[in-house]
Amino acid sequence: MSTLTLRQEPPERLDFLHVTPLSLSGLSETEAAKLPVGTSRRGLTLGDCFTIVLDGSEDLVIEGGSSRLDRVGASLDGGSIRVVGDVGQRLGAGMRNGTVTVTGSAGPFAGSGATGGTITIEGDAGDHAGGAVYAAKAGLDGATLIIKGAAGDHLGDRMRRGLILVGAAGAHAGSRMIAGTIAATSVGDHPGFGMRRGTILTGGVGALSPSFVETGTHDLVFLRLLARSLRPLSPAHADLAAGALTRYSGDLATLGKGELWVSAA
Amino acid sequence: MAAWVKGGATDADAAVEAAATLLAAARTPIVAGLCAELSAVRAAYHLADAIGASVDPLAGTSLYAELGSMSRTGGMLTTPAETTGRADAVLIVGNAPWDRPIVGEIAESAPTRGRAAGAERTLLSLGGPGNGATRHVAYPAEAGGLAVSVAHLRAYLKGHLAGETAYGDLAKRLAAAQYGVVLYDAAELGELGVEMLQGMVKDLNEVTRFFALPVSDPFQGRALLQLAAWTTGQAPRVGFGRHVPEHDPWRFDSARQIAAGEADAALWLASLPAPRPDWLGTLPAIAIVGEGSPEATGDAAEIVIAVGVPGESAGGALWNDRRATVTYAPPTGPSAELTAAGVLGAIQDRLVEMKAASC
Repeated sequence: MSTLTLRQEPPERLDFLHVTPLSLSGLSETEAAKLPVGTSRRGLTLGDCFTIVLDGSEDLVIEGGSSRLDRVGASLDGGSIRVVGDVGQRLGAGMRNGTVTVTGSAGPFAGSGATGGTITIEGDAGDHAGGAVYAAKAGLDGATLIIKGAAGDHLGDRMRRGLILVGAAGAHAGSRMIAGTIAATSVGDHPGFGMRRGTILTGGVGALSPSFVETGTHDLVFLRLLARSLRPLSPAHADLAAGALTRYSGDLATLGKGELWVSAA
Repeated sequence: MAAWVKGGATDADAAVEAAATLLAAARTPIVAGLCAELSAVRAAYHLADAIGASVDPLAGTSLYAELGSMSRTGGMLTTPAETTGRADAVLIVGNAPWDRPIVGEIAESAPTRGRAAGAERTLLSLGGPGNGATRHVAYPAEAGGLAVSVAHLRAYLKGHLAGETAYGDLAKRLAAAQYGVVLYDAAELGELGVEMLQGMVKDLNEVTRFFALPVSDPFQGRALLQLAAWTTGQAPRVGFGRHVPEHDPWRFDSARQIAAGEADAALWLASLPAPRPDWLGTLPAIAIVGEGSPEATGDAAEIVIAVGVPGESAGGALWNDRRATVTYAPPTGPSAELTAAGVLGAIQDRLVEMKAASC
């Protein structure tokens, strides 16, 4: 297991796009120390900020996180990254395979454009978790994003495929959703604004948009399959899917094939 | 007096020297505001490139509400001249557009060309003031806000909702227009609302002709957007820290950068009237402001330089709302001693000299 230990809070935002188990596997510690990670004219390198211990394995641990560590696990295509602490924006953005775990909280746009693998945030996530960055066609695109704490606004904005499991989510969860599944213990106001397809399952909801309409309560096979698939990841969310639910259809301002399942309890 | 350093009046050369010294020592400087003539904005981008700063215009919120939607789904837009000449139905969304002169021009004219020529013009309002001197049909907004209201209206237009309701009536009026235009303010409507509105306009074009007309922001954002595109190939919020213009609207949001303690120096450029940012006195900063403005005093920032105001005491290329393009505004009075572009160029020249001397 390779380890990067942060010496002190970085003086500027750092970009970890090119710091993955794969990119480090062929480097000596001296070579890895020269990898550029700074974002200012000072040209900070990995060795300026971290103590580096490499063993060529597929597992990388970053000891001592910071909200200034951007793009940790971005474009990851295998192996695992574990961050003991916080991270900044775009955690696991565009990743294709592997696992990324953060013991603290993450900044905005976690899991944006991720097509595979699993991202776990044990603390909270910022706005646009699983959402699309500027000009991107899609947010989460097939990966699994698990947020054990709360998420900010615009969770899963323009999400296209995959699964998001979250505690409480803010306003506009699932906005402009193309497809995929979001399961949350609660969501804020106007979930699913502009969603075309996709499923939002929640224990509680804020204000609903008038372009969502109630379609009654149902006992569908789909819900039992959903509960079964959620149980290994989160029994609480699985129980939600297995309980009594009221279905809302929307967003009728667009295609209207999305569905919002709200606990009837 | 045209310049101040740490509260004391001084001459322009001393202020330029102090500004260059401050910026040369900064790790992550920001260049913000950019509410100015285009020559000054261009000089600000070049200076930002030279010092590795990030750039964030005052018009950023409005621009990105529009650009966020435009970059993904496009838009169907028209011009003020086409609206006054052709539209037989104009929907005004929100309160902000009612302050603009174009509303009066639309209300006082009728379509004279195109398929609606000779028809009466109907003025409709969604979530607007609901009364006033201009005759119009008002529809109240939903409690959830303008974006939710537009979504509700669009659901009626698509036929997914039906019934004798106010929004059902408004949807019928819009679909019956021969040439419709919807006037809105992107900053007031927000990105989600703009995208929903543009979707609604596209839906309406299935049955008639309909276009959107966003009002411009008051801080030269439209002109700056064009300059940013031809200078960096990107939208305005870019950073030059890694020698190439990186576009990231979240990372280079100047208010966020300062609140997070990421910026260690700032240059505020506002040769035109602009609200003073809360952060101006909280970190080492240079303020290049219009002479006679409330900020043209020694206590506004560590270094303050007063320059000519374009269209008053200096000439400059500015956004022309009426013609929807950039035009030259000549000075209407005596020319000021300093121009913003000249000051920014002098700071950059001094930085080059300092760098050469250190080699």
